[in-house]
Amino acid sequence: MGTETGRAAADPGWDALARVAAGETDAFAELVASHQERLLRLCERLLADAEEARDAAQEVFLKMFRKAGDVRPQGQVYTWLYRIAVNHCLNKLRRRRLVRFLRWEDPADDADAPPFDPPDTAPGPAAALEARRRWGATRRAIARLPAGQRAVLILARFEGLSYRQIAEVLGITEGAVESRLFRAMRRIEAAQETGSLHVSPREGRR
Amino acid sequence: MNRGTEMELMRLLHGGLSPDRERELRARLEREPELAAAWTRLQRTWSGLELPPPAPVPPGFAQRVAARAQEQAGGTSWSTAPGWVRAAATAALVTGIALGAGAGLWSGKQAPSGQASEEQTSFATTSESLFDDNLAESYWSALDELGDRP
Repeated sequence: MGTETGRAAADPGWDALARVAAGETDAFAELVASHQERLLRLCERLLADAEEARDAAQEVFLKMFRKAGDVRPQGQVYTWLYRIAVNHCLNKLRRRRLVRFLRWEDPADDADAPPFDPPDTAPGPAAALEARRRWGATRRAIARLPAGQRAVLILARFEGLSYRQIAEVLGITEGAVESRLFRAMRRIEAAQETGSLHVSPREGRR
Repeated sequence: MNRGTEMELMRLLHGGLSPDRERELRARLEREPELAAAWTRLQRTWSGLELPPPAPVPPGFAQRVAARAQEQAGGTSWSTAPGWVRAAATAALVTGIALGAGAGLWSGKQAPSGQASEEQTSFATTSESLFDDNLAESYWSALDELGDRP
């Protein structure tokens, strides 16, 4: 606990948050500016849609603003923000699935997910096509995971968080993180083996 | 190979093993072909997971969010009410609708068939739109808030 307190004191974000609670709007704008990039990225990866991610990130920051006076400094500010963001995005995803279920559609199907139109960053048309195929396969693989496993996989693989950090963000034990990640990887491996993700052997080797 | 070993391979991949344990596991990978095959498969799956680079932060995003926060701070609204207030209000609304539906069905049984079906259709339309717009949104937002407590 001593370490936690020390880490909390070391994060200047908590001071900024206290200033937000005291009514300093400049402090809020500073906090948003310092966390916007990683939060937008996280929301985009969870929701697989840049526009929806912008709305979600805005909602998360507004929640931060409303709760600034209630929060108890513990750990890092971004961990707390990540927790709000993950909860918010997972609820959005559950909503999507519920709507599909009520329409008698496959809840795991991403057929009516937002159109996938990533930017072309590869050097040539063939490489760009290849990259889009890999991205599409990953997106489909992640879309088929249960919400909890999806969050763990994204935080581990794409956000580079340690088991301990993921456990803090999701409010679960490290063992649960390990187990969810293991099951997520199992599902993805199985899907790749059956070819349901359309990942070619060449894509897999990269 | 048991699940524990596979989970250790995950930790090896993710960088969460102690140096001693990592040395032991790498030595086993040299000796055990089955383990080495699983390790190769895991690495391939892991590195095969790729997503496009994220979209850039829209210009003026922080300023727009700060302006929205200012607006919200200026007045009270449904969206700024505490989670428990919204959850309670949503529950009351759901109960009201359920009671209304029950009454509608009961009166439908009493009324002539044509009239009943018209009333029921009209009620269904109203309740659907409530669920579609405000109610579902409020319910999920309230759940969000309850789950975000630090």
